[in-house]
Amino acid sequence: MLLITRRVGEKIMVGDDVVVHVMEIVGNTVRVGIEAPRSTPVYREEIWHAVRDENRAAAHAAPVEFPSPAKA
Amino acid sequence: MSITIDSSRFGTLEIASEDVIEFPTGLIGLGGTSYALVAPSEDGAFCWLHSLEDADLALPVANPWHFFSDYAVDLSDEAAKPITADPADVAVWVTVRAGAELSDFYANLRAPILVAEGKGHQIINEAADAPVRAPLFPAAVAAAA
Repeated sequence: MLLITRRVGEKIMVGDDVVVHVMEIVGNTVRVGIEAPRSTPVYREEIWHAVRDENRAAAHAAPVEFPSPAKA
Repeated sequence: MSITIDSSRFGTLEIASEDVIEFPTGLIGLGGTSYALVAPSEDGAFCWLHSLEDADLALPVANPWHFFSDYAVDLSDEAAKPITADPADVAVWVTVRAGAELSDFYANLRAPILVAEGKGHQIINEAADAPVRAPLFPAAVAAAA
């Protein structure tokens, strides 16, 4: 892992077209702005993991027959 | 023009080329970018999003308003950028984690799949009440408890 120390207002380039801005630091919270091309979606890591797990579970654990909503 | 896939779940499927949905950034954690909606349930509540590249890959999706009448999708400006269609023309599906019992069915309200003009995007819903795992049949959950 690359470790970089930055101050508020400074930026980091990831490749040629992703820019990470360090916007604000308050206590142990850092606010970052990310500029990325449309083809590079940006997610909070915990949401990305949760959605990945749900997508995989949906694809692997499903029966063919669906219940009718009326049954509930 | 049509595409034939030898689905491990449904057997041979014929997909008209105009029904192909391209996901430019794919679906998180799953491979491929070409899918199609197949095998809708009779009442239209469920459908399958089937990969056109992997015969084993299909995930059930639901029309969220069949189950959550006040469901809302709230996009950040950034997430909305790739969706150029009129909001009225955008179909919304949510993935379903199916279980053995009705009480084990969950929908992912946090990451709906928006489909318009042959393109699909799984986006993060910023609305406050949009859990990753919402019981699809709350009455069954209450009955099981």
